[in-house]
Amino acid sequence: MASLWSKISPVLPANEDQFPLKFSDKVELSVVEMLQQSRKQLYGDITSSSRLLNAQIILDISWEKLNTGTWRHVDKEWRRVYSYGCLFKVAALCCESPSEDKILEAVRTCDMGLIMGAAIMGDILQVIVRILQSHIRTLSSTKEEDESEHAEVKRIKIESPLVSAIKEESAVLRIKCPSLESFKTNFLLPLKPVILEGIIDHWPAFNKHPWSIEYLRSVAGCRTVPVEVGSRYTDEDWSQTLLTVNEFIDRYVLNKDGVKALGYLAQHQLFDQIPELKDDIRLPDYCCLGEGDEEDITVNAWFGPGGTVSPLHQDPQQNFLAQVVGSKYIRLYSPEDTGKLYPHQSQLLHNTSQVQVENPDAERFPEFARAPYLECVLQPGDVLFIPVRHWHYVRSLELSFSVSFWWS
Amino acid sequence: MRWFGFGFNAFGQICVQEKSGRGESSSAPHQVKISHPAELSSHVDRSRCCLKTSQIRVSWSRRASLHLEGDSCLSLAGFGESVSSEDCGISKIESRGCKDVFISESHLTLAFPDRIETWDLQKREKSPSWSMDIKTDAEGSDVNLPLVPGGYIALKPPFYCTLPGHLKARSLALGAEHAVLLTATGAVYSWGLGSHGQLGHGGLTSEEEPRVVEALWGMPMTHVATGGWHSACISDGGDLYVWGWNESGQLGLPSRGLRKSQQKTSQQTGELCCDTSTPPDEKLKEEEEHEDVFISIQAFPALLDVSSSCEIRAVSCGSRHTAAVTTTGDLYTWGWGEYGQLGHQTVTSSDEPQRVEFFRAEQMRVLDVVCGTWNTFAAAVKEEVACAENSTKCTC
Repeated sequence: MASLWSKISPVLPANEDQFPLKFSDKVELSVVEMLQQSRKQLYGDITSSSRLLNAQIILDISWEKLNTGTWRHVDKEWRRVYSYGCLFKVAALCCESPSEDKILEAVRTCDMGLIMGAAIMGDILQVIVRILQSHIRTLSSTKEEDESEHAEVKRIKIESPLVSAIKEESAVLRIKCPSLESFKTNFLLPLKPVILEGIIDHWPAFNKHPWSIEYLRSVAGCRTVPVEVGSRYTDEDWSQTLLTVNEFIDRYVLNKDGVKALGYLAQHQLFDQIPELKDDIRLPDYCCLGEGDEEDITVNAWFGPGGTVSPLHQDPQQNFLAQVVGSKYIRLYSPEDTGKLYPHQSQLLHNTSQVQVENPDAERFPEFARAPYLECVLQPGDVLFIPVRHWHYVRSLELSFSVSFWWS
Repeated sequence: MRWFGFGFNAFGQICVQEKSGRGESSSAPHQVKISHPAELSSHVDRSRCCLKTSQIRVSWSRRASLHLEGDSCLSLAGFGESVSSEDCGISKIESRGCKDVFISESHLTLAFPDRIETWDLQKREKSPSWSMDIKTDAEGSDVNLPLVPGGYIALKPPFYCTLPGHLKARSLALGAEHAVLLTATGAVYSWGLGSHGQLGHGGLTSEEEPRVVEALWGMPMTHVATGGWHSACISDGGDLYVWGWNESGQLGLPSRGLRKSQQKTSQQTGELCCDTSTPPDEKLKEEEEHEDVFISIQAFPALLDVSSSCEIRAVSCGSRHTAAVTTTGDLYTWGWGEYGQLGHQTVTSSDEPQRVEFFRAEQMRVLDVVCGTWNTFAAAVKEEVACAENSTKCTC
């Protein structure tokens, strides 16, 4: 079997001269010097540990820059530097017949570059992580856990509590495959929520590659993703952490280590990180009714066990929330009724209501009970249209995987 | 007074390897991490006189040493500065007569008796990027870089920023994204980005203008310092207050992120783990048994007990670590330590202040400390020299 390095090396530039290292003067010369040293080491006969040391310097200084100021304002150059750091680290990890642990660390490093960095050299980290994943697959044997895991998931499914029946007068309208014109006239322009049925039946996620825990493990198990831990993001003990998809499934979906907290793979652009999953979904046609470009549409993954909650909040864009696996209870309030919803005062949370929708404090929030709402249980195959700035509250009823499309 | 440095040295800013005398360029890389205090070699001027280093200022890749004896001047070490036996190492920038210096990764600011100059370290031009004349007045220097008459010099253009006159600024510490000011009356003001609690006003919001740190109101402070995302100050009674981000234990408060990564390290076989304080097993047990309170952001100043019954006389902050000197001449460090910047002969971080034993072992008394981004420099004298001066001792 070919060595890992023999698969990676062809993807890198042939020599030092063909390896670009161009940065704006936002990146100080001293940092460029470190990058040049790493580039030199890549083509020289330098020990892995020296190269790791140098790569770590680049990662540490760019990490500090990435954490300086607000994320939006972080100069893209520093994100590129961070990606170069990841690249040099990966090369150092993979050059000397690495153990499986080292390869997994290399995968994690690629993911850090993909999540926090910016694409470099034709998105080389994406190319390399693919090589690493396929190399890992050739190493590992087929898992026999599939059977027991299946039963595990089934058991969890039965145990989850459901909601009380949705009343007709407060139910979100359902409509099957409306024309672009009728959707625009009846729902988009008047900003009226609706559930579109039958519009994602063609997704490979339902047919060719039905999404399941086993499928996700096989396609993304060793990949690192950001996970939200805690009941809801307005709680004091809410936090974010980085885990591999396998770790997330083991700990928060299957509860293998008895951890009581809720974990939610939420609001993450998973499909940019893992192209195989992107191939399983499609952009809803109705997005073309917006004014924005297709490239500006943000696609997020929402994957987690039953009980995950997104507190009542509003977003500045239109949203198509597509349900692929499992079901979710969703409640919607119109922006007209914002006065009864008690948004937080702080700048950070002004788009979030203070009220716990399914357990409201009537003393602190007396008007809330009088706010009219629509509600639904979103099932696999449904797509909920959440008009811009419409308040929405979401609770998963069981293991759930949704895909959201934010468009304008 | 002798200076010692430890921590990040990839550019030779602490010390360089012995060269074989073949000239300026060296292919031998510098020792990147110096975890044991190394004495800084004395600076030798053109006339081969050894110049004492009066003060040090440090950026990520450089060290600027100020020599105030006689014809005062500056020397630079680190990135872009070659040190060989032929070259006296004085920077191309004319620094004779300068009284104070301030260095950032991109710029070097010099204060002369009659003017202030800021030079671009990236461009190596013949004249400063910015300068201003100052009046030599009898009242004494209004210059305590980065403070200048009427305001201060920022880390990047436009350099000159005004400060409200009523503030009567005494000293100013500039972090990457925030600033902490000490006034003549001992009040502390802060401004800049506040997302990690580094402003000390109790929240995470930013401030565009200097705002008084109310929690410290009424307690006169004597020193202020800023790190990447944290701040510190010393009261006139010798108490140390800290606030801001504690992700690596730089506040000396329990840090969850630190404990987690220490657990991971101790679980991996064959990985370097020089944590000599608590054995890994005990640490794990501690976490399981107690509902430990971890602090990741401290948005109000907190009193830190560096070492019981000791007064603090100096404090300095790197990007993610903190160092403090007691009145009894001990140096304590805590926070991020992966480049050896804590000086305990390890490359581990710590969320508890620990004494740098080197100085006691050498019978030296530490007088001052200056932190660079990822390193630490301490000024110390031999104990007999210190005893000659009347100093109070306490029993720590």
